[in-house]
Amino acid sequence: MSAPAPVPVRPRAVRSRSARRSAVRPRLAAGLALLGAVAAPAAAQSLDDGLLLPRRTARVGVVQATDRWDHYWEGTRARTNENLGTVATRVTLLHAMYGLTDRVTLGATLPYVRTEATQGVLKGQQGWQDVTVAAKLRVVQARVAGRAALSALAVGAAGAPATDYTPDLLPMSIGLGARRASLRGAVHLADRSGVFVDASAGRAWRSTVRLDRPAYYTDGRLTLSDEVRMPDVADYAVGVGYQDARWCLPLMLVGQRTLGGGDIRRQDMPFVSNRMDFTRLAGTAMYTLPFAPAVQVQAGAARTLAGRNVGRATTLSAGVSLGARL
Amino acid sequence: MMRRPARLALVLAALVAAPLASCDRTVTPTESLPALAPASADAGAGAWRMFVLASPDQIPVAAPAPATSDAYKAELAAVKAAQAVMTAEQRANVAHWSGGGVLRWNQILRELVARRNLPPAPRADGTYALPDPENPFADPSFPFANPPYAARAYSYVAVAQYEALKAAWHYKYRYNRPRPQDVDAAVQAAAPSGGLPGYPSEDAVLAGVTSEMLRLLFPADVDQVQRAAAAEREAALLSGRATASDAAAGLALGRAVAAVVIARARADGAGAAVGNAAQWRALADSAAARGETPWVSQESPARPPMLPFFGRVQMWTMTAAEGVALEPAAPPSTRSPQFAAEVAEVKRTVQGLTREQLAVALKWNDGAGTYTPPGHWNDIAAEYVRDARMSEVRAARSFALLNMAMHDASVGCWSAKYRHFNPRPSQVDPSIKTSIGLPNFPAYPSGHSTFSAAAAEVLGTLFPAAAPEFVRQADEAGISRMYGGIHYRSDIENGKAHGRRVGEAVVRFARGDGA
Repeated sequence: MSAPAPVPVRPRAVRSRSARRSAVRPRLAAGLALLGAVAAPAAAQSLDDGLLLPRRTARVGVVQATDRWDHYWEGTRARTNENLGTVATRVTLLHAMYGLTDRVTLGATLPYVRTEATQGVLKGQQGWQDVTVAAKLRVVQARVAGRAALSALAVGAAGAPATDYTPDLLPMSIGLGARRASLRGAVHLADRSGVFVDASAGRAWRSTVRLDRPAYYTDGRLTLSDEVRMPDVADYAVGVGYQDARWCLPLMLVGQRTLGGGDIRRQDMPFVSNRMDFTRLAGTAMYTLPFAPAVQVQAGAARTLAGRNVGRATTLSAGVSLGARL
Repeated sequence: MMRRPARLALVLAALVAAPLASCDRTVTPTESLPALAPASADAGAGAWRMFVLASPDQIPVAAPAPATSDAYKAELAAVKAAQAVMTAEQRANVAHWSGGGVLRWNQILRELVARRNLPPAPRADGTYALPDPENPFADPSFPFANPPYAARAYSYVAVAQYEALKAAWHYKYRYNRPRPQDVDAAVQAAAPSGGLPGYPSEDAVLAGVTSEMLRLLFPADVDQVQRAAAAEREAALLSGRATASDAAAGLALGRAVAAVVIARARADGAGAAVGNAAQWRALADSAAARGETPWVSQESPARPPMLPFFGRVQMWTMTAAEGVALEPAAPPSTRSPQFAAEVAEVKRTVQGLTREQLAVALKWNDGAGTYTPPGHWNDIAAEYVRDARMSEVRAARSFALLNMAMHDASVGCWSAKYRHFNPRPSQVDPSIKTSIGLPNFPAYPSGHSTFSAAAAEVLGTLFPAAAPEFVRQADEAGISRMYGGIHYRSDIENGKAHGRRVGEAVVRFARGDGA
């Protein structure tokens, strides 16, 4: 530990819960953040993709996703843990999008998260996690080779915990508790045959988080504070898909790299600021009902292919959304 | 007028910036320790009662060359020459250690405990390897610094420091050779002199005694420890508090005192605390023979109980028989209505747990990967020691008494735990789930409650104005274990009463020690 400058001495203490509630804390949003390990809610028409809604249309919906893992990476070591068995995270994601103009779509998400382990004595947690709001702005629109439409978007998002949940019980915690801001660029190239390709990359900045305890050990050192520095996060997604009047079928490869943080030590529990990396493959099928064109149903599956300090998760999801012209 | 896309881009940027604007993302990693200017030099500390050494001059320290000698003047010249080329990094190191060697080493020790407080991972065949002191870097590394191991380690380091500093004070005032900064105005006072004689250097004493103790207790961290010890000695010279001979004499004295204390540690019975499979079975059989439900490990694969014979380790302030006399009576029988009522209370608490109660459970969790409950109480004590501006020798006494109490509490608690071998709530009622890790040893009495009440008793005597606050924290630590779902009320109440009795015994032990 480096030498701290001699500053006016104050007792170091965990801030009381009431003091924490009164602390200034913008109630904005971070959603998809979490659970690198957990939910990766659907591809198209998420806050992350390259798609926009037409002007003055709105879409609201709910996605139910269940994410399970029995193997996880303790640092880079893949293992099981009989004291956890299979960890299941059930996410009910509420989402809403609105086409402000043909070039700008606004969106918000709020997940309710429940965790559970099939073995051992640890109690699952549940609650509303982080609310995220985002604005998608189309910056480029062009025709390519006379048959494809290219669009490029900038997406800004911000998020914050919606409730006072603890991030200090991983893997049972429902989230990481950080405020979060992100910027991403997304490119969507749609051929008139219906085939499209998507690519996006983003970076998220995260605030520190507060624990309920006065000290913690991570990344090789003991920190005598209840406050944890959260490394920033970079992520990317590339994919292909098919879209027509009824169907949208994206298949995405999604990667997250945490830009710092320590590994889970041998036989230790995960920690909120761990270096959580993963590569996931996610497929989704969305279908617009012919007899009720405002209604879209979707089903998805995802699998974590590689990771570090996260679970090797399999995710199944289903959802329904309702569109309307306002 | 701004074009619409530009306006939208601004809105986007504002949206992203909002949650992080005015957001300070730095974390202060450690306690702030201003340069120590002791409230008293404690010039008489050389006569304070010894705990392990027979007398303050058991380790001889030769008389130094007089301050007027050419040899000493050459040493002063060397100090000035080194100060003249001091780098910013060296200056920061001097400032760091000027916060107090006892407090700095206590921080380092808390870090080593947290680093090594991880249980061995299971092998493929469902068994667990034992940490091996002869091969500390293996997997599992040595030690597994669980709460009893940690309580003992904190106490040995603190006692050894205290013994060595009392001896150092004895020689300082016997020889009365001033510090370089007090004898030569050309020597910079980069850290306060504190009005103490310089020979032998107390900074070097601390570096010597602590590095030797930690080499025994945390052998896998020897590199970090040696670097810290070297940095402390360098700070002693560059601060203008010690010459080369002050430091050399201090280092030798510290090491020699450590050797005496290590001899006690090697014979205190801790090496036999693990026991063997036949002994573990006998503990369960004995509980069953009394008609009680014996504790079983709820880890999977089942893990041997944590240090079942730690209750036989030598205590600091009392004999084994005196220790047993302080232990609490037997817990409610696992067949009794009271036991059933206490199980039901845990279940009710866990099922109706509030966010505030969860915060209390997490605050005092102090489980695997942390500095343990004894470390938490060192953490609490450190700020009181700092704010009282105690001399190094008095700071060492405070940590010695605190940690002797917690070691003796841990020996007594472990003795009682394995005498009764009582099951955890989640064993007798599997519908009880825990919000914190389940400790792998019997329930009765609660270790947290015992440690904390003993610590509060000692700290309340050292810092009487804060005594009610220490008791409040000990009560909170105790009840946190029910909130976590891992202890019954009897475990907590009887554990606290036991801890208080141990704390009182340590306070009696310290009475009349001259300090």
